[in-house]
Amino acid sequence: MVSVPRGDAEATMNRPRPCDSDMSTVFSLDLLANILDRVSDPRDRKSCRLVCHGFLRAEEIHRRSLRVLRLEVLPGLLRRYAAGLECLDLSACPALDDRAFSAALAAGAGQWRLRSVSLSRASGVGWRGLAALVDACPRLEAVDLSHCVGVGDREAAALANAAGLRELRLDKCLGLTDVGLAKVAVGCAGLEKLGIKWCLEISDIGIDLLAKKCQDLKELDISYLKISNRSINSISSLGKLEVLNMVGCSFVDDEGLQFLKHRNNSLRSINISRCENVTSSGLTSVIEGNSGLQKLNVGDCFPELASLFFSKLNDLKDSLTVLKLDGFQVSASSLKIIGLNCKNLAKIGLSKCQSVTDEGIFELVANCVHLTTIDLTCCHLLTDRALISIGDQCKKLRCLRLESCNLITDKGLECIGTCCSSLEEIDLTDCSLSSTAMKYLSQCSKLVVLKLGLCYMISDEGLVLLASNCKKLRELDLYRCVEITDDGLAAIAAGCKKIQKLNLCYCTKITDGGLRHVSRLEELRDLELRGLCHVTSSGIAKIAMGCRHLSELDLKRCNLVDDGGLFALAQYTENLRQINISYCSISGTGLCMLLGTLKCLQDVKLVHLSLVPIEWFEIALRASYEKLKKLKLLIGLRNLLSPLLIEKLHSRGCRIRWVEKPFAARR
Amino acid sequence: MDLKLRKPPESSSLSSSSRNLKPDMPFVQFDSASLDHGVPRDQSFSEVFPQFVNQSRGVYVPETVTKNDLVIDWNPRLMLINLSFLEQKIHQVQDVVRSIISQEGHAFDRGNELAVQQQLVTADLTYIIIQLISTAGTLLPNIKNALLSTDPAVDRPDSGMGMNTNLSSGGGQKLNEILPQEVAKSCEYDELIKDFNACVGEGGELIKGLNHAGDELSESMPIDDHDVKDYDDVMDGENLPPGSYEVLQLEKEEILAPHTHFCMICGKGFKRDANLRMHMRGHGDEYKTPAALAKPSKEASSVPSIIRRYSCPFVGCKRNKEHKKFQPLKTILCVKNHYKRSHCDKSYTCSRCKTKKFSVIADLKTHEKHCGRDKWNCSCGTTFSRKDKLFGHVALFQGHTPTIPIDDAKVSGTPDTAQSSEATNGMVGNVGFNFSGNSPNDGQSLDIKSAAYSQGYFSPMNFDACNFSGLDEFPRSVYEVSESPFSFLSTGSCSFMQRNGEN
Repeated sequence: MVSVPRGDAEATMNRPRPCDSDMSTVFSLDLLANILDRVSDPRDRKSCRLVCHGFLRAEEIHRRSLRVLRLEVLPGLLRRYAAGLECLDLSACPALDDRAFSAALAAGAGQWRLRSVSLSRASGVGWRGLAALVDACPRLEAVDLSHCVGVGDREAAALANAAGLRELRLDKCLGLTDVGLAKVAVGCAGLEKLGIKWCLEISDIGIDLLAKKCQDLKELDISYLKISNRSINSISSLGKLEVLNMVGCSFVDDEGLQFLKHRNNSLRSINISRCENVTSSGLTSVIEGNSGLQKLNVGDCFPELASLFFSKLNDLKDSLTVLKLDGFQVSASSLKIIGLNCKNLAKIGLSKCQSVTDEGIFELVANCVHLTTIDLTCCHLLTDRALISIGDQCKKLRCLRLESCNLITDKGLECIGTCCSSLEEIDLTDCSLSSTAMKYLSQCSKLVVLKLGLCYMISDEGLVLLASNCKKLRELDLYRCVEITDDGLAAIAAGCKKIQKLNLCYCTKITDGGLRHVSRLEELRDLELRGLCHVTSSGIAKIAMGCRHLSELDLKRCNLVDDGGLFALAQYTENLRQINISYCSISGTGLCMLLGTLKCLQDVKLVHLSLVPIEWFEIALRASYEKLKKLKLLIGLRNLLSPLLIEKLHSRGCRIRWVEKPFAARR
Repeated sequence: MDLKLRKPPESSSLSSSSRNLKPDMPFVQFDSASLDHGVPRDQSFSEVFPQFVNQSRGVYVPETVTKNDLVIDWNPRLMLINLSFLEQKIHQVQDVVRSIISQEGHAFDRGNELAVQQQLVTADLTYIIIQLISTAGTLLPNIKNALLSTDPAVDRPDSGMGMNTNLSSGGGQKLNEILPQEVAKSCEYDELIKDFNACVGEGGELIKGLNHAGDELSESMPIDDHDVKDYDDVMDGENLPPGSYEVLQLEKEEILAPHTHFCMICGKGFKRDANLRMHMRGHGDEYKTPAALAKPSKEASSVPSIIRRYSCPFVGCKRNKEHKKFQPLKTILCVKNHYKRSHCDKSYTCSRCKTKKFSVIADLKTHEKHCGRDKWNCSCGTTFSRKDKLFGHVALFQGHTPTIPIDDAKVSGTPDTAQSSEATNGMVGNVGFNFSGNSPNDGQSLDIKSAAYSQGYFSPMNFDACNFSGLDEFPRSVYEVSESPFSFLSTGSCSFMQRNGEN
C-alpha cells in the first residue's frame, strides 16, 4: 500500500501540498472508498489518509468505526468523523467523564449514525452522559458498559430509553440491582444479547422479569450471579435463546438444569463450568433437551462423568463442535466414546484432565479428524506418542496447548512440525525442549503464538531457526529462557517483525544491546522485562523511542532502571496503559513525570519504590487519580496517603491492592 | 351477644350427644369418631358424620386412621417425642379398655350403657391430655396451622373443646389404634362427669394460656386475630349444603356495639363475660363465691343445636343470606370484622403515613408495623413492601417499571428525563385505573398473610402471594371478583399525587 515516511506524515497533516488538487481529480471519492474497502490494516489506512487532503477526506467519509486511544484527541476526531461513524470505542479512555462525553456528542449533534458504543472501563461516565448518548444517537443498538464499576440503576434507567437497543454488556457493573435490570428489560424489550456477569446484586426476581419482558434474547451471560434454580426456570421460557453462559453459578444444581430439558432446541452453546453443584445428571438433562447444542463447556464442575453422559453425547452427534471438559477424570474409553459420537468435533478442552493417556488421545483423534484446537494443559501422562497420533490424524490443527506436559521431547514435535502445517498457536510452557524442537517448529510458517516459557534449554540457535521461517509470529513467550542472549533477540527482531507481545522475564543475560534490537519491533504492544538485572535506563529509552505503540510494560526488579528511563517513557510511549515499576531505583520526580504525563495510564504497580518519599507519592497520584483503574501499593502507604486521595481514587472506580511484602533483593 | 351465642358447656354437650345417639349404633364408631375429629358434642352424630352411620364397622375404622394421617402429615417427627410420652399414658387406658372388650358381646345392644362407656373412656383420655397439655403446648402452633389448612372437619371455629381438637390431631394417631377396642364398662357415671368437667375447665385455661388467644372457652378454637381474618375473607371452601346449617343474622347495631356484657347494677359494659364477672366482685361478697365466678353453664340451651353460620345484614353483600352465591360467615368475630371492613367508614387513620385508613383497629395496628417500609415503588405510583411483589406487578403491566429509590435520586442531584418520564407514566397509569370507580367500603383485608394466598388465585400467574398492605388493590381486583367487584382503591393514585407534590 501507499506508505509515507513518518516524519513527513505530520507535515502532510498541517501543510497542504501542491499536489492535493491533482490527486483528488484523479481519484473520485467513491473510487477511493472502493480502494479503502480493501485496506484492512489500520497502519496501512493511516498511511493512506496521510497522502493528501483528498485521501484524508475520502477516509473521513468512508470510516465506520473508531477506537480512540487518547482522550484529548476525541473532540477533534468526532468532529471529523461524526457523519459516517457507526462504531465508537472509548474503552481506552478511562478518564472520560460526563462533561467531556456530552461535549463530544454535541459535536455531531443531529447527524449521528452511531450504532455501537463501547464505554468499557470508562467509569467516569454516569447517567447524564448516557442520557446524552441515548438522546443524540437514535440508532443506538449496542452499548458496552462492562467494568464500569460505578454504573448502577440510574445509568441503566438512562440506557433504558434507547428502545432500539439489541446488545448490552453490563459485566461487573457493581451498582446494578434488579431495579436497574428491570428498567432495561422494560425499556429495551428487543434486547438480543445481554451480559450481566458479576452484577452481584441481581437476583432471581430480576432474572424472572427479564425473561418475561425480553423474549427475543439470544445470548445471555449470567456468570457468577447469586441466582438459584428459579432463574433457570425463568430462562427456560426464552424461546430464542442460543447462547447461555452461566459460569460459577454455585447456587444452581441439577434440579435447575432440569428446566432446560424441555426446550425447543434453540440453545446452541452453553457454559456451565465452575457450577459446583452440578453433576452428570444435570448435564444429561441439558443434552436431552437441546439436541442442537454446538458448544458445551462443563469444566471444573464435578470430578467424574457418568457413563450416561457419554451415551447421551450420541444425541449431539452431528452438531457438537466444541467440548470443554477441564478438570475431569477422563479415561481412554471415555475419549473413545467421545471420538465415536462426535465426529464433527473441532475443539476439545482437556486441560487438567490428569488421567488422559496417550492411548486416550489416540482413540480420540482416530475419529475426530476435524479437530482444530486441542487443549492438553497439565495432562502429565502424555508422551511423544500422543503427539505422533495427533500429527498423523489432525491435519487441520491450528492450536495445540501442551503446557506442563513434561514428558514431551523434541521428537514429538518433529511430527507436529511436519504434519500440522496450519498450526497457528502452540503452548509449550514448561516442556523440556531444546533448540532442536525449534527446528521442527519453524516448519509451521503460519505460527502466530508461541509460548516457550520455562524451556531452559532454548538457546539463541533455536531463536535464529524460528525467526528464519515464522514471519507471522505475533506473540512470543520466552519467560525464564535463561540461555537467551542479545544475539537471539537480534534474530527475532530481524525475522518476526509483527511481534506484538514479547515476554523476556528473567532472561538475565539480556542487556541494553538486546533491547536495542527489540526496539525495532514497531508493532510491539506488550513487553515484559521483569528481573532483567543488566538492563539500564538507556535500554528502556531505546524501547520507548522505537516501540511507539507500547501499551503494557513490566519493569519489575529491573534494578538499574532509574528516572532517565521513565522520562523517556513519559515522553514517547503515549499509549502506555499498564506499567509495573516495582523495585526500580526511581525517585519522586520520575514517578511524577510518568504518572502526570502519560494520559492513558490505567494500571500502575508501585511496590517498594524505596527512593520515592511519601509526599511525591501523594503528588503523583493526585495528578493521575482520574485515569487510574488499578493500583498496587505497599500497605504501609495506606495510612500515609491522605484519605481524601484514596477516596477520590475509589470514586473513579480505581481498585487499590495493598500488598504486604517484605523487601527482598532478589527472588 | 356472647352469652346468647355461647355453646353449652362440655358436660352437657356430652350428655346431650349421648342422648341423641341412635340405640343401635356400635360404640366403636362413636368413640373413634368423636375423639378423632373433635366433633362438637352438641351435634347429633348422624348429622355430622352421616357417612359413618351408613357404613359398616369394618370399613369405617381404617378410613379414620388415614384421615388422621392426613391431618398430621405436616411434621410427624416433631411430635414423636411427645407422642411417646402420650403413649405411656395411653397404655394405662388400654388396660381399662381391654377389660371392657371382654364384655363387648352383651353390652352391644344397650344404648344407654354404650353412652356411659363412651363418657368413661373420654374422661380417661381427657385426664391424659390434661397431664400432657403442657407437652402438647409446644406443638400447638403447628397443630393450629394444620387444622386451619387441612381438615375441614376440625377447623370449624365453634367446634366443641379446643383440647379435643388438639388431641385428635396431635396425639390422634396413637389413640386411633386403641379406640376401636373400646367397649362398655360399668362405672360411676356422675363422678366421671364431674371430673371431666373439671378437666375441661383446666384444659381450656391451659390452652388459652398457650395460645395467647385470650378467648373464653366457649370460643376456645385457638386462633388469633390473623387467623380469624383469614377465615373471614379467604376460607370459603366449606361447602356446607344450604339448609344444613342455621343462619343467624345480627342487626347492625348489635354488630357494632362496643360491649356485649353489661353490669346489672351499674350498667358498665364489657367486651368479655369474664371481665364482667371480675367486675362484679366489686359489687359485693355474693359475687365472689366460686359459683358466681364460674362460667355460666349453658345447660339452659340444651336444645341440640345444629351448625350455626352467620349472615351479614348488608343487603347485596355476598355474605348476606339473600345473595345468590351466599357464603356464610363462620363466627361472630368474622361477622364483626367483615361488617366493619366492608360496610363501615374507615375511621382509623395511620398516624405515620396519614393516608391509609382502616375500620378494624387490629388492621391498623398490623399496618403500622409495616408502614413506611414500602420502599418498592412502581412508575404507576403503586407502592409495595416487598420487591417480588413489585416485580410481579411490573411483569403484568406493559410499560410499568420499578422506580429507583429516592435517596439514590438525591445523590444524583437534579431531576432527569428518566424521572420525569416515570412521573408521566405514573399519571397515565392512574388515569387508566381510576375509571373503574372507587368503593369507599372496600371489603378487602389489607394485611392478608401471604401463606393464605400462595396456594390461591395467583400462583398460576406467578403473581403469588400478593401483598396487600400497600396500595396495590387494583391488581388483586383484576383477578379476584369474589367479594366486592368495585374494590378499586383511589388511595393509590391519591397518595402518589401527594408524594409528587412533596417532592
